[in-house]
Amino acid sequence: MYAFSYHKPATAQEAADLMASADEGAYLAGGMTLVPTLKQRLAAPSDVIDLTGIHGLRGIRTLDGKVKVGATTRHAEVAANEHIPVLADLAGRIGDPHVRNCGTLGGSVANSDPAADYPAAVVALDATVHTNKRAIAGDEFFKGLFETALEDGEIVTAVDFRAPSAAAYAKFPNPASRYAVVGVLVARYGDQVRVGVTGAGPCAFRAANIEAALAADFRPGAVDDVGIDYGDFNADLHASAEYRGHLVRVLAKRAVAQIGSADSG
Amino acid sequence: MRQSGEHRIPAPRAEVWRALNDPAVLRRCLDGCRSMRAVADGEFVAEVAAKVGPVRAPFTADIALCDVAPMVSYRLEVRVRGGVAGFAKGSASVRLAEVENGRETALNYSIEGAIGGKLAQIGSRLVESAARKMTASFFERFVADFAASAAPAR
Repeated sequence: MYAFSYHKPATAQEAADLMASADEGAYLAGGMTLVPTLKQRLAAPSDVIDLTGIHGLRGIRTLDGKVKVGATTRHAEVAANEHIPVLADLAGRIGDPHVRNCGTLGGSVANSDPAADYPAAVVALDATVHTNKRAIAGDEFFKGLFETALEDGEIVTAVDFRAPSAAAYAKFPNPASRYAVVGVLVARYGDQVRVGVTGAGPCAFRAANIEAALAADFRPGAVDDVGIDYGDFNADLHASAEYRGHLVRVLAKRAVAQIGSADSG
Repeated sequence: MRQSGEHRIPAPRAEVWRALNDPAVLRRCLDGCRSMRAVADGEFVAEVAAKVGPVRAPFTADIALCDVAPMVSYRLEVRVRGGVAGFAKGSASVRLAEVENGRETALNYSIEGAIGGKLAQIGSRLVESAARKMTASFFERFVADFAASAAPAR
């Protein structure tokens, strides 16, 4: 690790001011991505600004069919919360116990790692991302590989998720890291269907053609004939783009099957 | 790692060729490139600060032009030295063709490369996506550069 100045401000304003005056600042939330990067000397920020001391950023509240999760809430806390079962299920399958007890929702969504789990929930569960400056619709938040709608220095403070009438998250995890090679979250809101995909493309996205097929006929078989354009999907040593395209369809079907069996049971 | 593609550039072939040999244009178009200077005929040295998610990896690249067929094609041999993040080498073949009676130029490219060191070890799942993003952004800016310089002149 290279030397840096460590700060632990008590307010978001103070954190933003520290970032603005830093030569090259980096926000630290759970540190599950930043700390390994620093240890490998792959980044050398002059100032590390720890957001976990900011009051009011941690915790889960419900209001009007929505669940508001504070940005520094740990994955393990979301996993133990029963308000949105699919969100708890997703959070409980992130990484390992160490990651779930350190990693935060805000850190995950602000980083926009293409294989992170939470981004699938942000797009599928009609979320709103709150920052120290504004509210951003979940559909507008992820812009590309490690790119979000956040401006330089902007801090995620909380994310609101809308409770679906039924939902399931199907994931093909990397067996070592538990990152999603592909993850698909299918959520029903009455007759409306929202499908969020992570791991497949440069960032999480909604699969509009799968949504349309499922809105017309909510059965696993309805996804069979949906074309998946894998042209700009990720390819690495774990999976080719074509294979990821295949996984999107398979995992969407599994999620639908899981919802169906829960409905009839 | 391989990538290829084609871009249509709204400028005659001679102008595109000149830009492809101009370090100032290449520097403007390459994301994170802080300097690009010619060290010999057909040889450049570039300083680049690559930024992929949390990773900030400054590196120096030696670039040599090979198999130059003026106005038609060349191959860029790129070697990335040192830096803590690892090393990389690669080549980019570029070919130009006149289209629309010479008013526009079709640029075909193909890139291949390999990386080693720390970046290959821990970042392998992201390297290909990151390289694709950098390539896309380079050609987007390269095309935009022509659109911007062409507009007021005509």
